Amino acid sequence: MSKLLIRSIVRPEKADVVMEALLEAGYPAVTKVPVFGRGKQRGLKVGEVTYDELPKEMLMTVVPEADKEFVVKAVLKAAKTSEAGNFGDGKIFISPVESAYTISSGVKED
Amino acid sequence: MKEVMAVIRMNKINDTKRALNEAGISSFTATGRVQGRGKGLVDYRILHGAEEGSPEAIAQLGEGPRLVPKRLITVVVSDDWVDRTVETIIKTNQTGSAGDGKIFVLPILEATRVRTGETVEGPSGGDVLDSSGGLT
Repeated sequence: MSKLLIRSIVRPEKADVVMEALLEAGYPAVTKVPVFGRGKQRGLKVGEVTYDELPKEMLMTVVPEADKEFVVKAVLKAAKTSEAGNFGDGKIFISPVESAYTISSGVKED
Repeated sequence: MKEVMAVIRMNKINDTKRALNEAGISSFTATGRVQGRGKGLVDYRILHGAEEGSPEAIAQLGEGPRLVPKRLITVVVSDDWVDRTVETIIKTNQTGSAGDGKIFVLPILEATRVRTGETVEGPSGGDVLDSSGGLT
């Protein structure tokens, strides 16, 4: 079955919560990358100063195609800061993965 | 065109760089330091500490897998160079024990060289890619 790469960009303080949620959902394998970015709101404006390089954490996880909805829901639920959600809670991007290999065994996974 | 994304051990980055260069793949991007976990990884220092009866180590046991620092490298190559890239990375990074890392191959739809603005579309564009497989 083909796999999908799910890249979730979340608040740094929510990264641990999302990782915990993924672990409980049965997806222990995650890579966490510190990133900086801005979104639709063009950053944060505080008085005269605009902060447009806001720190975020990007969580990358590769899951089977069939589990997409489940994982996305788990991330959404964990990454939201309130019931309605707030600006800056982040984004989730999904891209196809053609093949995956485990280096220690050299085996191509299906 | 394909993107080969590999998560490897911190101390293997120089060997990987050299091996890729020798295989004719000269261009790639490395991300500084990423944190990752795999399928239930074991931290041997904590296990060792727990064996010796250190209370801090014992307190940390059973909290689930720990995050381990890794390097993330990204190589964009043309389709017929994917196998060679993957083989090179596996050969250089394989120690046989858990924690060696993963390789993922993703499709790239388009590549543009910033210097000239040349663009190649489609899964197997060869114009922007030189004979060595990398974006020159």
